[in-house]
Amino acid sequence: MSLHESTTPQFKANSRNALADENLQSALRGARNGFVGKRAIARAKMGEDEFDALRDRGRDLKNHVLANLGDYLEAYEAQVIASGGHVHWAETAEDAQRIVLDICRKADAKTVNKGKTMISEECGINDYLAENGIKPVETDLGEYIIQLRDEAPSHIIAPAVHVTVPQVREEFLKAHQHLDPDRDLSGLDTLLTEARGVLREKYFEAEVGITGANMLIAETGQSIIVTNEGNGDLSQSLPKVHIVMASIEKIVPTLEDAGTVLRILARSATGQDMSVYTTFSAGPRRTVDPDGPEEYHVVLLDNGRSNMLGTEFQEMLRCIRCGACINHCPVYQTVGGHAYGWVYPGPMGSVLTPSLIGVEEGGQLPNASTFCGRCEDVCPMRIPLPKMMRHWREREFEKNLTPTATRWGLGVWAWFAKRPALYRLATRTGMAGMRILGRGRGRLHKVPLASGWTDMRDMPAPQGDTFMAQWKAKR
Amino acid sequence: MSARDRILNRIRQASTPDDVAWQGGGATPAIAMTDGADRMDRFIAQATAADATVSRIDNMAALPAALADELRGRNLPAAIRHGADPAFTALDWGTVETSQGVGRIDEPATLSRAHYAMAETGTLVLASGPDNPVTLTFLGETHFVVLKASDIKAGFEGVFAAVRQDGLAPRTLNMVTGPSRSADIGQVLQLGAHGPIALHIFVVDA
Repeated sequence: MSLHESTTPQFKANSRNALADENLQSALRGARNGFVGKRAIARAKMGEDEFDALRDRGRDLKNHVLANLGDYLEAYEAQVIASGGHVHWAETAEDAQRIVLDICRKADAKTVNKGKTMISEECGINDYLAENGIKPVETDLGEYIIQLRDEAPSHIIAPAVHVTVPQVREEFLKAHQHLDPDRDLSGLDTLLTEARGVLREKYFEAEVGITGANMLIAETGQSIIVTNEGNGDLSQSLPKVHIVMASIEKIVPTLEDAGTVLRILARSATGQDMSVYTTFSAGPRRTVDPDGPEEYHVVLLDNGRSNMLGTEFQEMLRCIRCGACINHCPVYQTVGGHAYGWVYPGPMGSVLTPSLIGVEEGGQLPNASTFCGRCEDVCPMRIPLPKMMRHWREREFEKNLTPTATRWGLGVWAWFAKRPALYRLATRTGMAGMRILGRGRGRLHKVPLASGWTDMRDMPAPQGDTFMAQWKAKR
Repeated sequence: MSARDRILNRIRQASTPDDVAWQGGGATPAIAMTDGADRMDRFIAQATAADATVSRIDNMAALPAALADELRGRNLPAAIRHGADPAFTALDWGTVETSQGVGRIDEPATLSRAHYAMAETGTLVLASGPDNPVTLTFLGETHFVVLKASDIKAGFEGVFAAVRQDGLAPRTLNMVTGPSRSADIGQVLQLGAHGPIALHIFVVDA
């Protein structure tokens, strides 16, 4: 298997299953309002204008980095080497797999601890290591839970957001067989304590720790990892080898630029002013240090990103993976992350997935949007997500990947749209027809060809005159 | 051609350098510009909001007694583990049993010294090394941190300026804001995920 396998082409079927999954729906109901409200409060506490000025600064900062990415990557690499670390360049997911396995083999690793890294999900590192006899252990609590369930994350910052408490309990009883089967696991705190105890032992066993990186600083050669649990730090401080997996667009020029991103990252993600642990790592332990890894490796992953530069999708490379667009997306809130079928869900996933695995495979996702625009409204890096989803729809159409019924519908619409008189006549007739059907109630229980809408809810009957007629009357 | 060269070539062909003399940072918000008593107030308020506890002591000599009180109040054994920091090794610890070294798998209480702090977010900034082994920050059930009042900066800018001025280049610079936490079980926030369950800060006034 080269990449994380996708079920993206089955997005519609996945969504239907998600809607029928009672456990998932109950978990999504719980998550729906938390993130949205907390972000709004965090922004207001700083001052909305100041927060938005930082978003502008973040956008400009990443635009500057992307314009000069080659130079910044070389400057970063030189700093890592100067601090005693190693930089490995990976063009593809397969390259990254081989590089990681190679480092693990040289370290004689049997167990590898993983801090949360989406890049490693993208590269299918866990399966690859397991196939080669090395046991990967996820240490982020959410990642640990889904690893036990043999699932992919359903959210980039809350990977187990789809799992209910009884399901966690069931997994722990199954997985932790060395513990008393009659122990009390009724409280949430007992579950957390148990996971903490089990994973604490694992930290001391692993020979290699793999973490992601929220940023790479060109000025200092530091990688930054942000967590609330502390797992990223135990994963990198206890084993003798620390591998950082990062994609090439994670670069920021200076420490102060990292500050700019940190000021908007946690507030956009969880509504915290600052995550609990923000760690700047450079090189291996110093000769006088009593702890920390003896080797420090950075795997710089391209995997399709350099091909986005200079295209209408370049702005996606500003993404800092906060998850705000996901949290605010009505489609994500309804079907959850697994329906999207690959590593990155929600609006950011809908733009990134076709870029990374191809429009043939991922082309369904940019259609999973009502273009309500909330994602762009809340994006800390001001990425025009709806515009880019529209670009993907155009490409899908050009490549003849759009379903026949949709193409036929668009064809009919285009024929009328190019003939304004006929178009107006058709809309007037349609409106009159709908008004008659909805007479007295103002809404319709059934509309021909629109059962997808009316099976779930009524269609409001049009009120008043057409837009064009009203416009004429007003002038 | 190596993977490195192929990636860099693709990047250079697809991008146009902007020739901007980049100035880092910018758009500093007012919450990161406090001074004097306001700065101390904000630090304490923000650290407390992040579920840390804070107490103030007059000087380092007052630390052993203050720590003994805290340990007793938390029903912890009268024992602490810390690094080789002379600020700790020089003290008379009295009834508190001390040990020196890195973090261990089962560690009720650890003690570190923060290099700086940020009032903006109530964040401690620690530097790894023999004086303050990084594992002490993550393996203690309760983590105690000593911070000089004069080392509290207003925000990121002040901390980064100090890092440069002091030539601080540790293996890790650790920003810590409250004790560890997770909401991964049932989306309910609980303290004490992998790192400390509690964080207490002693602000030393002189």
